[in-house]
Amino acid sequence: MATTYGWLVLAFPLLGTLVIAFGFRSLPGRYAGWIGTAAIGLAFLAALGTLIALQGHSPSHRELESSLWTYASTVGVNARLSILVDPLSVYMILIVTGISTMIHLYSISYLDEDRGNARFFSYLNFFVFSMLLLVLAGNFLLLIVGWAFVGAASYLLISFWYRRTTATKAGIKAFVINVVGDVGLVLGTYFIFKHTHTLNFLATFKAAPHVFAKGEADIVAGCLLLLVGACAKSAQVPLHTWLPDAMEGPTPVSALIHAATMVTAGVYLIARMHVLFELAPAAQDTGAVIGALTLLIAGTIALTQTDIKRVIAYSTMSQIGYMIMGVSVGAYAAGMFHLMTHAFFKALLFMGAGSIIGAMGGEQSLEKMGGFRKALPFTFACFIIGGLALSGIPPFSGFFSKDDILLVTAERGGWHWALYVMGYVGAFLTAIYTFRMIFRAFYGEPVAEARELEGGHLHHAEVPTNPANGEVEDTDVGFPGPHHTVAERAMPMRVAMTVLAIGAVGAGLVQVPGVDDVIVNFLRPTFASSPLYEPHTKDGLLIFGMVLGTVLGLTGIAIAYRIWVKQPSIAVTARERFGALYELFVNKWYFDELIDLAVVRPAAAVGSFAMNTFERVFVQDTLIGGTTGLVRAGSAAVRAVQNGFLRYYAALLVLGVAGVGFYFLLQA
Amino acid sequence: MPPLSILIWLPALCGVVGAIIPSLLKVGARTTETSAETGAASADEPGASGSAWSTSGILALIGSVVALGLSIGYIADFHSGGPALQHVTDIVWISTLGIHYKLGVSGLNVFLVGLTTLLFAAAVLASNLRSWERPKLFYFHFMLAESAVLGAFLAQDLALFVAFFDLMLIPFYFLIGGWGREPDRVKATIKLVIYTLVGSLLMLAAAIATGVLASEQGGGHITFVLTSLQALPLSKGSQEWIFLFFAAAFLVKMPAFPLHGWMPDGYRAMPIEVLMVFSGVLSKVGAYGFLAIVLPLFPQAAAHFQVLMLLIALASIIYGSALAFTQTDARLVAGYSSVAQLGFITLGIFALNPQGAQGALLQMVNHGLVVAPLFFIILLLSRRAGGSEDIREMGGIAFRAPVLASLFLIVALATLAMPGSSNFVGEFLILLGVFKAKLAIAVIAFSGVVMASVYALRLFIGAMHNRVGPKVKSRDITVRDGLVLVPLVAVILFLALYPQFALHRSESSVKTAVASAHLALTPLSPQSTASITP
Amino acid sequence: MTLLATATLKGPHVDFAGLSPLIALLGGAAIVLLVGLLSSKWARAQLVPALSLAVLAAALGLTIWQWGEEKSILAGALRIDDLALVLNMILIAGGAATVLLAWRSRAAESTAHGEWHALLLTSIGGMFLLASAQNTVLVFLGLELLSIPLYVLCATGYSKRGQHQERSLESGLKYLIIGSVGSATLLYGLALIYGATGATDFSAIDSALSTGNLATDPLTLTGIALCVAGLCFKASVAPFHQWTPDVYEGAPTPVTAFMAVATKVAALGVFLRLFDVAFINAQTSWAPAVAVLATITILVGNVGALGQSSLKRMLAYSSVAQAGYMLAGVVVATKLGVQATVFYLAVYVAMNMASFAVIVARERETTLGDSVDAVAGIGRDRPWLAWPMTISLLGLAGIPATAGFIGKFYLIDAAVSGGYTWLGVAIVVGSMISLGYYLPVIAAIWMREAPAGAGQPSSSSSTASAPTPKAGALPALAGGSPELDSDAGPLGVDPSVTVGAPVQPHAPETTGPQPEVLFVAVLAGAATLFFGIIPQPLFNLVTHAGGALSGLF
Repeated sequence: MATTYGWLVLAFPLLGTLVIAFGFRSLPGRYAGWIGTAAIGLAFLAALGTLIALQGHSPSHRELESSLWTYASTVGVNARLSILVDPLSVYMILIVTGISTMIHLYSISYLDEDRGNARFFSYLNFFVFSMLLLVLAGNFLLLIVGWAFVGAASYLLISFWYRRTTATKAGIKAFVINVVGDVGLVLGTYFIFKHTHTLNFLATFKAAPHVFAKGEADIVAGCLLLLVGACAKSAQVPLHTWLPDAMEGPTPVSALIHAATMVTAGVYLIARMHVLFELAPAAQDTGAVIGALTLLIAGTIALTQTDIKRVIAYSTMSQIGYMIMGVSVGAYAAGMFHLMTHAFFKALLFMGAGSIIGAMGGEQSLEKMGGFRKALPFTFACFIIGGLALSGIPPFSGFFSKDDILLVTAERGGWHWALYVMGYVGAFLTAIYTFRMIFRAFYGEPVAEARELEGGHLHHAEVPTNPANGEVEDTDVGFPGPHHTVAERAMPMRVAMTVLAIGAVGAGLVQVPGVDDVIVNFLRPTFASSPLYEPHTKDGLLIFGMVLGTVLGLTGIAIAYRIWVKQPSIAVTARERFGALYELFVNKWYFDELIDLAVVRPAAAVGSFAMNTFERVFVQDTLIGGTTGLVRAGSAAVRAVQNGFLRYYAALLVLGVAGVGFYFLLQA
Repeated sequence: MPPLSILIWLPALCGVVGAIIPSLLKVGARTTETSAETGAASADEPGASGSAWSTSGILALIGSVVALGLSIGYIADFHSGGPALQHVTDIVWISTLGIHYKLGVSGLNVFLVGLTTLLFAAAVLASNLRSWERPKLFYFHFMLAESAVLGAFLAQDLALFVAFFDLMLIPFYFLIGGWGREPDRVKATIKLVIYTLVGSLLMLAAAIATGVLASEQGGGHITFVLTSLQALPLSKGSQEWIFLFFAAAFLVKMPAFPLHGWMPDGYRAMPIEVLMVFSGVLSKVGAYGFLAIVLPLFPQAAAHFQVLMLLIALASIIYGSALAFTQTDARLVAGYSSVAQLGFITLGIFALNPQGAQGALLQMVNHGLVVAPLFFIILLLSRRAGGSEDIREMGGIAFRAPVLASLFLIVALATLAMPGSSNFVGEFLILLGVFKAKLAIAVIAFSGVVMASVYALRLFIGAMHNRVGPKVKSRDITVRDGLVLVPLVAVILFLALYPQFALHRSESSVKTAVASAHLALTPLSPQSTASITP
Repeated sequence: MTLLATATLKGPHVDFAGLSPLIALLGGAAIVLLVGLLSSKWARAQLVPALSLAVLAAALGLTIWQWGEEKSILAGALRIDDLALVLNMILIAGGAATVLLAWRSRAAESTAHGEWHALLLTSIGGMFLLASAQNTVLVFLGLELLSIPLYVLCATGYSKRGQHQERSLESGLKYLIIGSVGSATLLYGLALIYGATGATDFSAIDSALSTGNLATDPLTLTGIALCVAGLCFKASVAPFHQWTPDVYEGAPTPVTAFMAVATKVAALGVFLRLFDVAFINAQTSWAPAVAVLATITILVGNVGALGQSSLKRMLAYSSVAQAGYMLAGVVVATKLGVQATVFYLAVYVAMNMASFAVIVARERETTLGDSVDAVAGIGRDRPWLAWPMTISLLGLAGIPATAGFIGKFYLIDAAVSGGYTWLGVAIVVGSMISLGYYLPVIAAIWMREAPAGAGQPSSSSSTASAPTPKAGALPALAGGSPELDSDAGPLGVDPSVTVGAPVQPHAPETTGPQPEVLFVAVLAGAATLFFGIIPQPLFNLVTHAGGALSGLF
């Protein structure tokens, strides 16, 4: 029963994709959008059905498998088209379908004017399908398939406005880095398959403890490679550079893919593979450190960025850093908890950003924004809610989930304390950059666009340009369309944002320390085997953490207020005082440059060398030219002797006879 | 099912008939090939179509389609029980030389035969969409080529295989030289044919030596029938030089680095309809030869040269990919990409274990299925980009061509072995096999996977996305072109959903093909035998 | 009276049945000669060739009548066996084709037809002798009977007009001189053999060599060496091949065709008989030498043919290379080798005749003579010429589905099983190189436009007055060699000999249809294709021939 619902969850989005894709000519106006939204909505209902059906089973029997047909079964490999329905996957599909429904709803208005409307929704549905496939997959092969589909969908949506060269560049960058992740995943799978001889999840998890010794080389290698996959997909250092560029995509895409769902796949992966990771402590520690580093680095960068979407993108990176760290240290429930809350408030923030960008006529730079407080009251409210949740201010959702992660980290003791500290430093930064963004966008002198809007008219650029590089938009297609809209004016957007805002506020309450721990109990069957699972809470530390988190958050907001509202001069002086540091941050720690130097340039150099030099000199001239040259030389020699003079012929003839005779005499 | 000879010779027959009987319909204007390229662009506009049909073309189409039907029949009729040959035809051809006209279907060739007939049918249909100078001759050679290729795949006698293998090239010589693109099509053709025949002739000597030495071994009458040759294994010494000769033939045909020198000029000169089958099918004959002939007949040599061959394959992957993402000529992007893809296939074969071989076999089919539509798409793109096949002069075509764009996208993603495509399953098995055989090589080979995504997307974006190219006139795919493209894409999708369809039919044959080589690799280790029958 | 009687009594028994093919030929030659004296133009131009055909037909009939015989006649001087008879058939085929090609040729006309055909028939007679000679004396006799008429035939292209005819005379002279040297060498060698073994009879030589260490005796070996050299001249094996290109190019095309096929057949026939029967016991000492010669020949012939602008020159070199291939069958000295050689001879005749027929046809239709341009573009409007030439060239290159492929297959098979694998490899290497000159010709046929004005022959007067290169002024023996007209520059040769533009204007000999030439081309081409697909009949034939040589295994 549960599995049937599970299949339905997969079926609806796929159906939606196909319907929109094949009917794109005959679907006028908003139909594509409504069909897409409906499909995902149905998927959400099906997900609820799965949940209910699953709860029907006794806790020990909540891991259900179901398969349609044999996908590849040969020479020892055996993969069926199978899904695994267990608390973890149900938890994920609930989040994915739920958030996606809202974002589809939002998109209906947001991309109303876009000519690629139908294409957009079929992509978006396809993305949701892929994401659900990823989380429902019952074996490695299918997981990899979903993993790659998600990457492809994200590529398609990033370069959705494909006339923008910036968009296509960002798209291919994202795709290639994701392929690197896929490779890691595949190779990791090999290492595990080598010993377990099965691709099926449950069988693998059952076998792993017996075939692998804890910390054995192969399992560590395998898990590290899986971690590579996770980092690529979840934009963790050093494979994160694609995420900021991915903001080229339409804002709902950023909200859905690059904040709420796809980028959390890495977190899910580690949680799903916890059995293996616990056998490879080295991999776990690596994951934890990477997460911690990412959350700090991303936080510092977010402090200095001016593109509103990029600020949110970096904050996403940093938040996912928390989750990766969490699931790597064993805070599975906490990590997944934060995953959910983050999905709510981060999607909300992106939607708000979309609203402002609409008001700015496509402009995304904070430099040019300001004073939208009165012009966009609803958006402002959403931003405040999202911001407080993000900064971990009680009772907003972020507060509970983040502190939960850090608490469990601390309980691991030892060097994990360092992670604990880094986590709180990150929290402090978070508060600052979040409210820096909010204050710069909504406070201060209203800019022209803001006033125009207060006057009741929505600003439109007469010559639409690409905000990224200022090049004039190609108005045929692949361009946001001349018209924009703001949440205040579009009912669907307002509904979606309201729902998410409620989530951002209330989602934390499902797991209030000491009061209730719904998620821990719900997920327990999946993590039953894990020794790290049960958090034996040290109340003292718990309280301390909560207080600390709150204080840091509030101070951060206060600082931000002082700098960006009270006396902006501080920002300038600070910039001058810490020049070097500022440069480092504003240049994103030079990761792009490093990767360019280490990978892209060498590859390009090899390629051009091969084409311009090697191919010509060795393959053509030496191999082919050499042999033909040899033959030609022989030919020339023969011709030279064949000069028509009998005397020459006679000479050669005598030589020949002599030679033959000589040879024969040798035989004697 | 009818005997295999009908499948083989039907196309040639249609070609002959089409060449003999005068064409009843009026043959299209005597345009030269190059002007046909651009002229076809205008002829591609709805309305200006039609005049291309010629009697010989239609006959050829009928022949190739019927052949396709037959081969589908053989696939449906295939018993996946064991490695035994099916539908065997065995007639003594030259008793004096012990050469038999022996044909048979096995798990190794049944899908390659299907691929051949499918691609030829598509290519012939594509050719029918434009008018050719001297159509009778053109289709005669085209059909002759199909017969020869089918013969090479179905031959179960070494000498017969060699004969078909060499014969294959001659029709292409005429096709490229007679209908190819200037400049210097003739020179390119001669270069291509000589280069590829050089290997084949070495193989001729090696094949004869195999027969003679084997018969001396057996002390019996000389024979070239594969099954009886397998019964008389040669000494390791003679296996090794014979192996090298065979390898030369197959590696050139594939082509593998650094023996691909004939490829760029040849590909540039070929009419794309011909290129579809040339690149889609002929390269597979080489790989098939390794799998079906070299491994069973010269297992010890295969084991002895394993590392060498793996390194050649690796070099092909990296070199091919590197060139594929530097080229700007769309044809050559596809061309070098197939160098890389064939590198993967070789890699799988010389993993010398069932996983690698199984993956390689699947990948042969997959690569043929993606590269043929890819070339056809390039043709369509060039028609929309004012006749140019340079990526830099394309761009923005997706606008007003959503269907074409989607089909291209599917093909491109399959080309880069996107998980979910059957190509991925093939690559997964190949690399798993190599992973078991030589870990380091597998790890390096993965770089090819990443590079594939770069060049495939570069091609797609360069043609479909970004700003509109200077001479680009975007319009969607016509129904006639769709008839060529859609069936191929449909097959790609089918195999993507259900690769097991191919896998379980070929499994037992593949296992037996690599078994002896695998044993030769590790004579005494138990897990090697275990992994043959897991 | 009594003297006469005793004389007849003393004389050896003559088996006229066995001799009948030879007698038919020589008698026929006499008749043709006489008919040639008739005054009526018709009789000379039409009756004579017809008669020659009839004679050949008769010879063929008698050969078939003798089929299956196994006997030595004239006191063991001649052997009538299947090898001899098969070779005879091949020779007759070649001869008949030649007659047809020569039907309208100016060569036959300028020398009154009678002589020309008589000489041809006599030469064939000499070849018959060689094919069945069992005695060194007869070998030499046959060789001279073969050569002397050919010397004359080569020169029959000569007439007062045009530089090409100069060439013909020159080639005749060259052939005469070098050929005589060859014959002399052979004669000397045979003499030494006689000196060493005291026998002229093959079987006697064989038994002599089998006893004691005579097989390694310097005298014998020198003799064998000289025999090798001598026969290599006739078979134009490198490095004794140099006369071939010049003579082939200079001689009238029908004669060239005849030399290319018939002489090879005869020479290799002797090779088989002499080395695989008489010298079989010395095989260990001569085989390697001949193998090396074969390899050199294959390489020289093939590289020499590259980039030739004259088809006849190209085919001359290719014939050199082919001789190298066929020697492989001699080297291994096994039944298989003999069969392979004979098989290849047969298909070789077919393939060459097809090409030469096309060349003849184009020489007569265009002003381009035998240059490659003459066949350019004939694929478009002359399929009946284009296909035979294409098939024959593919066959010579050894492409499957032609008899050439089977022939090479057979030769390599023989070489490998005879322990000469490397010789087999040499053969395939040679074939690779040969693609370098066969394919461009095919490309010219199918993929190039006919050069302007090539199609319709211009009137002979215009070509007569056409400015001919300075080669006309060459001293005949200086030898104008068109090697130097193509890319390879004259290496240290005095520039005065650089002659001949690639295309030399020739007066088209006859215009209008020439069914007999077409017939030869199509028949030969068809044969090439047929035996490439259904070779078994030919195999059965040559299996007999191989069986003829006892003492081989």
